[in-house]
Amino acid sequence: MRLRVGAATSVGKVRPHNEDAYLARSDQGLFVVCDGMGGAAAGEVASRLAVETIASCLNSGEQDGQEEGTPDSGLSARTRQFGQAVRQANRAILERAQGDEQHAGMGTTMVGVWVDGGVVSIAHVGDSRAYLANASGFETLTSDHSLVEAQVKAGLIDREQSLKSEHQNILLRALGRDANVEVDLAEVTVAVGDRLLLCTDGLTRMVSDDQLSGALQRFRGDPQSACDHLIEAANNGGGPDNITVVVVEFLGSRLSRVFEVFNR
Amino acid sequence: MPKLILRYDERELQECAVGTHPVTIGRLPDNMIVIDNPAVSGRHARVFREGNHYVVEDLKSTNGTFVNEKPIARHTLLEGDVVLVGKHSLVFTLAGGEQAAVQDAADPFVPEIGGTMMLDTQKQKQMLSGMDHGRPSHMHSVIPKTAVPAPPARTGTVRVVSGNADQSEYSLMAVTTIIGKADTAQIRIKGWFKPKVAAAIARKGDGFTVTPMGAAVTVNGQKVASRQDLADGDMIEVSGLTLEFRLA
Repeated sequence: MRLRVGAATSVGKVRPHNEDAYLARSDQGLFVVCDGMGGAAAGEVASRLAVETIASCLNSGEQDGQEEGTPDSGLSARTRQFGQAVRQANRAILERAQGDEQHAGMGTTMVGVWVDGGVVSIAHVGDSRAYLANASGFETLTSDHSLVEAQVKAGLIDREQSLKSEHQNILLRALGRDANVEVDLAEVTVAVGDRLLLCTDGLTRMVSDDQLSGALQRFRGDPQSACDHLIEAANNGGGPDNITVVVVEFLGSRLSRVFEVFNR
Repeated sequence: MPKLILRYDERELQECAVGTHPVTIGRLPDNMIVIDNPAVSGRHARVFREGNHYVVEDLKSTNGTFVNEKPIARHTLLEGDVVLVGKHSLVFTLAGGEQAAVQDAADPFVPEIGGTMMLDTQKQKQMLSGMDHGRPSHMHSVIPKTAVPAPPARTGTVRVVSGNADQSEYSLMAVTTIIGKADTAQIRIKGWFKPKVAAAIARKGDGFTVTPMGAAVTVNGQKVASRQDLADGDMIEVSGLTLEFRLA
């Protein structure tokens, strides 16, 4: 399948600098969004380091022996390799943070998809999200590693309350904070016409799922405009945080029609 | 503490921290940053803290103060801003500077880092149980452990009803099972003109879905447009293969 990709990032209207980072590599089928945190410029360092480490790990096919998920998990080798790359990024950030007082305590979220034909590997740590829009609707592919999400799951608060909670900014997991980070891994299959959306919480706190889904529908075939539109919507809502969004649209390969003729 | 780095001609001349007192910049020796150059006014500009921000203000200098090459009278500084005074530049950096501000605002139990906070495992449990109004102490179990799919409560199998495949039955152990001619396909089709990847059967929650990839797929005779949920007994046709799906 061919991919059509849009990506945009904005500092927002309040924060002095943009600590988000993203990677959109159509050639590798690799798309990653990170939301850095940490004093001074450290958040930017962490998010940047994460996307760079993941990209170079997957580019070189580097293995570190520590498998994320055993073969029993049923995950493909590719998905497990993605998990390893994220763990590698975690270590890279930790090492940088430990070696430099200025960067102490920095960390980052990450959500990424690695596309292999119609099979998409998903890796995720923190509260940045991945969504899938397809013929049957619009769904969240990730579950936030945040306090409010844990509270919702525990039945302590409902979804409505979680959106107003003062604890929205408390993460339970991030890269760069712990030597052994747990990385959520999953796989999803996609077909021609499906769209994936990756974003940081700067978007999801200002724009509802319905609006996300609506924008993907309205700008079908033009993922860049979908991204630009969503960034604008978050900024119009006040833009309290950095905003990053990547949209990947799956297009039919030129060969697929030939196959269809043969396999009719 | 944020600081200003005085540079001239690619060389770093001086660093000056911006604290509670304003940093004054000018040609006269009583300035904190002295730039002895005729293009610089005696009292040229100053940088000071205002709330949570740092501001540079031109003191009606003869030749003006510029930030990132634009003339300013007053400007709220952002990380990396370059203030130009005469031919000297002052780079503003927050380096380590949020530390102090953060401590003021910090919660007693969680360190705040640039707006987003991270709880370590112990504090997670503390916090979740702290919010737990009289619930039993199983709260820690709500912290999502991992999304590596738990072994499915239900198992899926497909039986080859007709067509040329490498086995007569397959149990769907993988999260994603590929049907095709490729070596990586778990359900291997044989024959000419078969696509490397024809379709995929994937776990989703408790059940399974089928998605066409390189070939047309029908379920119970109906063409599948994109991902579709499978039900026990569904007949899947793809690339000359007829498969019966069983969910147990």
